[in-house]
Amino acid sequence: MSAIAEAIDAGTLPGRVWMYANYHCNLACTYCLTESAPGVPKRALEPEEMVRVAREAAELGYRDIGITGGEPFLLRHLPKTLAAVSEYLPTLVLTNGTLFNETRLAELVPLAERPVALQISLDSPDPDVNDEMRGPDNFAKVIDAIPRLRDLGVTVRLATTGEPGRLTEDDHARLCALHRGLGVPDEDHIVRPIVRRGRAADAGLGQDFAPEQIPAELCISVDGAFWSPFGPTVRGGELDTDLLISRTTAPLSRPANLLLRLVQGRPPGDDAAIGIR
Amino acid sequence: MTSIPVVGVVAAASPLVAIMTPATAPLLTRNAFADGQPDPITAVLAQVPELFDVAMPFIGATLGPSFVPHRVKEIVILRTSSLLECEYCVGAHTVAAVDAGLLHDELRSLRAELSWADVFADPAERALIAWIDAIARGRGPVDATTANAMTSHWEDAAVVEITVLIGTTMMLNRLCTGLALPLGAETRKRLAAEGFGA
Repeated sequence: MSAIAEAIDAGTLPGRVWMYANYHCNLACTYCLTESAPGVPKRALEPEEMVRVAREAAELGYRDIGITGGEPFLLRHLPKTLAAVSEYLPTLVLTNGTLFNETRLAELVPLAERPVALQISLDSPDPDVNDEMRGPDNFAKVIDAIPRLRDLGVTVRLATTGEPGRLTEDDHARLCALHRGLGVPDEDHIVRPIVRRGRAADAGLGQDFAPEQIPAELCISVDGAFWSPFGPTVRGGELDTDLLISRTTAPLSRPANLLLRLVQGRPPGDDAAIGIR
Repeated sequence: MTSIPVVGVVAAASPLVAIMTPATAPLLTRNAFADGQPDPITAVLAQVPELFDVAMPFIGATLGPSFVPHRVKEIVILRTSSLLECEYCVGAHTVAAVDAGLLHDELRSLRAELSWADVFADPAERALIAWIDAIARGRGPVDATTANAMTSHWEDAAVVEITVLIGTTMMLNRLCTGLALPLGAETRKRLAAEGFGA
């Protein structure tokens, strides 16, 4: 058993490896950590690289894969890559849920049999409030996509991001009624705070977190390996490096062991308590 | 002794790459930024944290205190840096050599502003400087006279460490020169106070 596997078993290290599939996006959300938008550089991981990371993560003892962006489904290879990645580990993909036309839905059919789940963002039960943060017609597209994905047999989760207290009890109740009505159970709905990085920092949104407050999930991007998916953020067009672990990502054991060393050197924290997993 | 170019101190240039700061320093490098902005070499090596992680202990062990006397180490570093025409290292280590007790004429001769053969009288130090010149400027085996003089005055472990120190200094010389690392204001002030530089 690798030292990584032992640390995951012991709860010292989280069991998920994240990948930034890309940085470009069809949306430009107000709180985006990576300043993603249609015109930004793609900075995409190659599909072979994503499969390599998944294979090595499985060999090291990691338990699942998270894929985020940017909007990963802008990458036309993604459905096939997800099929290959999920051969090694269960895979969660974060998506804005707005690109699932008939063609893309057909490409997702093979994933219904795979351990792949899609986590779609929806920030308010009110279309106007949601769309103000996430773009025109976002609410309608998401509400349309979720049942169609579920009809294919694809597992769908829902993520709600916002400032603490933004959602009233009534908002929360209506949001939960909405996702239950769409077939998404409570355990697959997460509410998470905005982290003050990237565009959120420019807009004065979100909360500051010290590294020891952020789960030590290994995150691979085209720029290197980072402490958590909150690491490889972008501000003013420049990559943030404060949570950079190493520029080298292959073999995966190299950044994984450096991260383990960093985690073992930090005092016990309350990273699970801030609810940004 | 062959003459070598005199290296002056020039105005601060813009570095070729971003100098990491306490705000941008990656996790593995953060201790080096705990007390504020470190020297430019440390701050650029932090661009590659996994390299920084192994390079800094090595550089510290090589250039830092050891069984080789401080004075000897500064002779090696300043002479090598002068041969490699590294303005940053010549400036920084002229100040360091002053702190190590080297005399003004010794500094000037190591900086090739005087003939070292006219300044250094100690046979061991003369053998040392000839060895530095041979290692840092040579492209093949060291001539037997220079090699024999070195090994007759210095024990084997010192020859090894000094030679590694020359090589490490050359690596840093090229790093600083290639990336146009700027000499700090405090160092410039010290150099001026000691009668060196602009």
